[in-house]
Amino acid sequence: MIEVRNITHRFQNTGRAALPVLDDVSMTVEPGTFVSLLGPSGCGKTTLLRIIDGLVQPTSGQIFVDGVEIRKPGLDRAMVFQEFNLLPWRTALNNIEFALELHGVSGVERRDRAHEALQRVGLEKFATYYPHQLSGGMKQRIGLARALSTNPRYLLMDEPFGALDPLVREIMQIDLLKLLDAEKRTIVFVTHSVDEAVFLSDRVIMFRANPGSILKTLDIDLPPRRFENDEEIKASSAFVGYRNMIWHLLKEQLRRPA
Amino acid sequence: MRFGGVSPLFLSSPSAVTLRLIKVFADGSIWPSLLATANVAAWGAFLSIIVGVPVGVLMGRSALVRDTLEPFIMGMSSAPIVAFLPLLIIWLGIGPTSKIALVFIGSVFVMIVNTETGVRQIDYRLIETARSFTATEFDILIKIVAPAALPFMIAGVRLAIARVLIMVVVAEFYAATVGIGYLIFQAGSQYDTTLVFVGVVILAGTGVIANAGLRALERRIAPWMHNVGGP
Repeated sequence: MIEVRNITHRFQNTGRAALPVLDDVSMTVEPGTFVSLLGPSGCGKTTLLRIIDGLVQPTSGQIFVDGVEIRKPGLDRAMVFQEFNLLPWRTALNNIEFALELHGVSGVERRDRAHEALQRVGLEKFATYYPHQLSGGMKQRIGLARALSTNPRYLLMDEPFGALDPLVREIMQIDLLKLLDAEKRTIVFVTHSVDEAVFLSDRVIMFRANPGSILKTLDIDLPPRRFENDEEIKASSAFVGYRNMIWHLLKEQLRRPA
Repeated sequence: MRFGGVSPLFLSSPSAVTLRLIKVFADGSIWPSLLATANVAAWGAFLSIIVGVPVGVLMGRSALVRDTLEPFIMGMSSAPIVAFLPLLIIWLGIGPTSKIALVFIGSVFVMIVNTETGVRQIDYRLIETARSFTATEFDILIKIVAPAALPFMIAGVRLAIARVLIMVVVAEFYAATVGIGYLIFQAGSQYDTTLVFVGVVILAGTGVIANAGLRALERRIAPWMHNVGGP
């Protein structure tokens, strides 16, 4: 379980007043659930994810992961980044091994686990390709494989499909659910796409901006294994109802003068 | 091949230079000069790499080190380094040491500046990605900084080679008993224009070969990058 307790964060700017990014945010992420943080740009959702990963130290407040307060990145969490962040001098396979190297996995085990991860995202044929030879969708599959190869309990995804074109994006959403279906992994997923949040999540946490704080938490009660009938789900009245409700709430926020 | 009307005293002919070039290699008379020059150039270049790379990395990673060293390095990299030669000879004598020192001073600043540029252009997001996967500062240095800056370092070596050759020849003009620079200088004072050209061709050839080799290396280790360091 991830517990976010009273997180407040300000960006310090030299010569200017500190910019408030997050204001007293508290929430919990239950084990085995898929939670989306949804909100407009500048609502601090990415910063909150980075605080949960341990990359950013909050101005105040605490993060507990499985009861232990965290201050830096750990082996139990892995990030998938919007811009993929693959090392251009490493092949697909070696990019996955990069994470395992840092986690102290070596030799044959590392190679095998990297191959297995590449296979899970359907790119075993591209093991020896460099990132600049791959499409955006393929790069993000490698980013996902890199994170999964370390077998993290918590997968933190920062607008992972935001840089992909809409068609690839939908396929990636379906494939992500397929990939996670057999596992009891916990996912925190940052997005600003309402449809994406509703389709993927068990719970959507909506944020308002300036400074970022939680607007509303909504449990999404759609059937499991949504990847099997994604078109029906997206056309269902329940899906449309959630989407309209969320959109209505966010629209009110966006129209309000800051 | 002959050009009419120009005295061979002033300008040799390509065919004479080619024949002489073959001759000096065939009879082995070029080797002492070539080895002496290669020795000075190699040591000077080697020292400038092993000093220039760490200093450049430090300057690229630490604002404090950068702000401290930058004025000095900027000044030294635009100063006419050959002016140091008389001093270096007084300090180190006329043996190879003073020449190696001149080559070193003449090329180390290019290495530093290029390495620093390479380190500073590293995509910060890659460092952050490494941190997210629990990298230590040492991991970041070895797995991110070094490979990301390597093409820039090689470009630095490439730029340094030209300076190395200039420094070595100037040093051998000024104070030497052996070396390609000395050979050129001696040949010039004896009006042996052909031998002057032989020396020039050898130096130019060395530069071209080194440059081509390093470019090939750049392309091999950084296929995702094109032309990091200019021509």
